Amino acid sequence: MARTVIDPLTRIEGHLRVECEVENGVITDAWVSGGLFRGMEVVMKGRQPSDAYYIAQRICGVCPISHGHASTMSAESALGVTIPNGARLVRNIIEAAQYLHSHILWFYTLAALDYVSPAKALQANIADTYALAQAAGTSTANFAAVQNKVKALVEGGDLSIFTNGYLDHPAFSPDMPAELHLIAVAHYLEALEMQAEASRVIAIMGGKFPHFMTSIPGGTAWMPTEEKLDDVLFRLVRVRDWVYATMIPDTLAIAPYYADALNYGGGTGNFLAWGVFNDESMEMTKRYLPNGAVFVPTKGLAVEDADPAKIAEYVEHSWLDGESGLNPADGQTVPPSEFAGYDVNKRYTWGKAPRYDGKSTEVGPLARMIVAYLRGVAPVKAIVDTALTALGAAGKPEVLVSLLGRVAARNLETAVIADWSLEWVNELVAAVKEGGVEFFKPIEADAGKGAGMWEAPRGALGHWMNVEGGLIANYQIVTPSTWDISPRDAQGVRGPMEEALVGTPILDPERPMEAGRVARSFDP
Amino acid sequence: MANEDRAFNDQLAERGVSRRDFLKFCGSVAAMLGLSEAMVPTIASAVQSAASSKLYPAVWINGGACTGCTESMAQATYPDIATIVLDILSLNYIETIMMAQGDAANEALRSTVEKNEGKTIMIYEGSVMKGWDGNALRVEGKPSLEVLDEFAPKVAAIIAVGSCAVDGGWVKAAPNPADATGVSMYLAEKGIKTPVINLPTCPVNPEWVVAMIVDVLLLGQLESGAILDKLDDQGRPKLIFGQTIHDNCPRRGHFENGEFVYQFGSPEEAKGYCLYAVGCKGPQTYTNCPIVRWNNQVSWCVESGAPCIGCGDFNWVDENAPFLGRMRKVGIGTGPQEGGFNPGVVGAVAGGAVVAALGIHAIGMGAAGRIGNMPPTEDMKAHDRKKGGDK
Repeated sequence: MARTVIDPLTRIEGHLRVECEVENGVITDAWVSGGLFRGMEVVMKGRQPSDAYYIAQRICGVCPISHGHASTMSAESALGVTIPNGARLVRNIIEAAQYLHSHILWFYTLAALDYVSPAKALQANIADTYALAQAAGTSTANFAAVQNKVKALVEGGDLSIFTNGYLDHPAFSPDMPAELHLIAVAHYLEALEMQAEASRVIAIMGGKFPHFMTSIPGGTAWMPTEEKLDDVLFRLVRVRDWVYATMIPDTLAIAPYYADALNYGGGTGNFLAWGVFNDESMEMTKRYLPNGAVFVPTKGLAVEDADPAKIAEYVEHSWLDGESGLNPADGQTVPPSEFAGYDVNKRYTWGKAPRYDGKSTEVGPLARMIVAYLRGVAPVKAIVDTALTALGAAGKPEVLVSLLGRVAARNLETAVIADWSLEWVNELVAAVKEGGVEFFKPIEADAGKGAGMWEAPRGALGHWMNVEGGLIANYQIVTPSTWDISPRDAQGVRGPMEEALVGTPILDPERPMEAGRVARSFDP
Repeated sequence: MANEDRAFNDQLAERGVSRRDFLKFCGSVAAMLGLSEAMVPTIASAVQSAASSKLYPAVWINGGACTGCTESMAQATYPDIATIVLDILSLNYIETIMMAQGDAANEALRSTVEKNEGKTIMIYEGSVMKGWDGNALRVEGKPSLEVLDEFAPKVAAIIAVGSCAVDGGWVKAAPNPADATGVSMYLAEKGIKTPVINLPTCPVNPEWVVAMIVDVLLLGQLESGAILDKLDDQGRPKLIFGQTIHDNCPRRGHFENGEFVYQFGSPEEAKGYCLYAVGCKGPQTYTNCPIVRWNNQVSWCVESGAPCIGCGDFNWVDENAPFLGRMRKVGIGTGPQEGGFNPGVVGAVAGGAVVAALGIHAIGMGAAGRIGNMPPTEDMKAHDRKKGGDK
């Protein structure tokens, strides 16, 4: 029996410690600790509702758009404004561009190095690499130049961002050809440009990325011109084509070499999505990726409407003070008078433990894809079924409740959203042509309680705002990572990431690469 | 063309960058650094030789960060992030993108700084978290403050990227629940003398970081000490942070004509009128955003139709909220109108002659009746009122 610790867990947003008990080469228990407290909810109090939009998005530099939108929606919900249709489309497009940016960055820049090694790419034969790319239906690149670049780096002795990486870890698939490693390394470099291209769409419509300026409560400050719409469309088409030509075939080419990852990493099997991308009705259950909750262990593959009133947050194992078991609509964020120290049996994280209907519940692309699949969203059903067939699991969507399923769900979602983003641009173009489209509705009220329930790329997200006399009286945020990196609750039940780690095989407890894979699969 | 040139051009071509684009980039860096056109070939050869010689040791530390500044760096274009981390810097520690994890990552940090003592560049993102003796941010099983205490004295210089690293950013906004501060403030408390270059805004603009990399590393201005002369008394490069947004704003003409946006989504917004009346902090904010712009220069805040919130100002959240409200009336003289239109207040706050002149100019316009119908400025920010007084 041995304790293995990853601190810091790199290639994520923020600061996370993962501590695992390993017995006979398998993780038998796990604790994850969020290392940072900034106290945004406390900073919000006493400010104006429209200021919250600007501050809230700065909680996360990878998903500021989603936090900005959830915050601005909480103000609109509290103060009784429904945004006009033009603003709905503009926000959908900006949000979609961020999903494309975030998912591409996650797969290639953050996650891929757990499955692909630049060192192995050095052994690739260049002609075979082109042949393999063609056979796998993925795009080619200047493979020789990429290999030379890696070689120069290794020979120069300065490995830069690859310094001390597990370049030769036994958990890399022994069967995966060197040529596939080289293809992935080449696309790792290409992905850097593609995530930046998606971000430029946000910059055109939102001023800059990260942190954007235009989704002000009431609508949007951005007003389209023909030239800007053309620019947005051109860039989204470029990203969409790359996702289909490169990211999806890469996923399907690499996945079979890690098929054992279908057998562990599934976690609690409880899933929650508030839904994202509004249609004209602005209703949560009718969103393009709809609202829903699924409890596989107790209720099987059945979806029910998700209700924010069923959330309770616990702090027994958190360093935060305050009452435990509150719903965020009346929640608290109370900094402790003293720091209690790190002790996995007592308090071990700055995060709270949110529970849905009492259950430890996972959020993220896997939750969204399962909910959308069960609700019969056509493009989701089509692409998930295709992927299941490719993995030899046709007709068995339950296999998605696994490490590999979580990784695949995110990449498949990228393709679906890329297609929708073009639809929304075209819809906006048509609306502008027709004339009379509106983008902003001023807010008059100065009191009310509201919530913005939305989804960041990494999962379900809620902002709650109480306004009294024109100022924020209370503000609460439950981020996706709060759900997924949750500590144990009052009953001692593990959080979703902790639960997913249990059962993960570890070949070398000194170098727990596989634990990193499972933790990163949540994109925390 | 020399062989090295050819090899370098091939390298550019691999990334889809033409020699012409590259020289254009060198030109914009020269402009940002206040160098003449004649320096463009020097910058070009400095970048080129950096790309073919030993990489410069660097570590990137994430304090109380949202990771937005790392993200922002990933949006750099000429050179792109791949060139920066594979051809110029040996960035041996950067939590968000490095391959190593856990102890192996910590070892990379330790050995890089120790093997290159006095030579490594530290880039610091996020606030310095002092709350609970530094336990507001724990890394490696201990308060992350210990990283600064141990390594800051051993590096050549620290580039504080983004407003959080410069002065604590939004994290330090009232009531500052986790006792956040900026890098240079913290080092001053500790008596650590390592030079700090401050690059505010939220997030940092990657073009400025690139300009500093060229200036500090490639042109050797840290060793010569020349870089320090280029900083203002708050550690910011004067050429980047020496003029207000208003000075260079493409909507300035509308300001002069008294053509303002009073509501988002209005015909005035569609025409691209001046955003001063909906709270634009451009007249008080010292950055070159209108020139450098963002995300490969595709746009910037004001161009997208949104007022500047002054994220490059010191203590920007408490100073500038409410972001959609007019700037505060601070008493330097009295404006021509009741509750008057008075960008000159900003000059008093920021101490810039240019802005003070602007204030006089605007007052003159007001007196001449060219600006009518301005909404009143706030006499005190709501947030300050809550705290019982002006700041």
